[in-house]
Amino acid sequence: MPTAPIETHHESPYEKRLVARLQAGESEALSALFDLHVDRVFAFARHLLGSREDAEEIVTEAFLRAFQRATAFRGDCPFRGWLFGITRNLCLDRLRQPRLMLLEPEAMERHTDHGQGAAQMETSLVVRQALAQLSEEHRLVLTLCDVEEWDAHEVAAILEKSLPATKSLLYRARRALRTELTTLWDEDEEETHDAL
Amino acid sequence: MRCEEIRSLLDAHLDHELAEELNRRLERHLLRCAACSYEARTLEQTRSMLREAVPIEVPSPSFRERASARLLDALPELHPTSGRTAARQWALPFSREDS
Repeated sequence: MPTAPIETHHESPYEKRLVARLQAGESEALSALFDLHVDRVFAFARHLLGSREDAEEIVTEAFLRAFQRATAFRGDCPFRGWLFGITRNLCLDRLRQPRLMLLEPEAMERHTDHGQGAAQMETSLVVRQALAQLSEEHRLVLTLCDVEEWDAHEVAAILEKSLPATKSLLYRARRALRTELTTLWDEDEEETHDAL
Repeated sequence: MRCEEIRSLLDAHLDHELAEELNRRLERHLLRCAACSYEARTLEQTRSMLREAVPIEVPSPSFRERASARLLDALPELHPTSGRTAARQWALPFSREDS
């Protein structure tokens, strides 16, 4: 599938030099580009897919394809934009495949590791449940802006929206999450009340 | 400031994006208006709960290591002029004479 690069930001001269060195076949440049981008690409894929294993697989494949494209491309190339464009397309392909939606045991363990008590863990589960009820776009904008705290310009570029449209989407997503949470807790209180 | 105007600024207030004077006026309104104050507080609580429930995602060290090794291994194929390519051709299922 042809992938249009995403204008995530202006690439720094350092990144441009790394891409040029990658095009010359330098392994150190490949490692440096990987280290530079892997955290954000991983977070993006992980939040979009909801599975660590899927994200790891997709991220490796996305880097491979972006490196292939960069080495085949002569001249100044928008490496980071390609990388995110390819990642997004691979994630969307993966999401179209039938799969089970599960809360990963690893995520639960991490919460326990962070010393959350039972009540806090229950709240977290409800929040994750509410988040899962939202549209994919709302979920993504909330996790990238409010959890990962990415710059809104970068999120706008990844979502292929203008900055005002991205902020408007974020504001709607916050309210949608609040509504879902309220509904879930209202249901919970009704059940508790009925049980008494 | 009217409630409608305040509501439209709550997210920017939450994100610390408002100019100082505007922010001061908004906070004064929140002290006086219970409905807007409730709206602001629930938005803030929702975001705070979201941050507690959803961890920042970072790749594990073992994944970094595995992925990095796999990509470095693929470099000769990405860049055919690299010295490692010649050695690798022996591992391909079809030799050059076959083609």
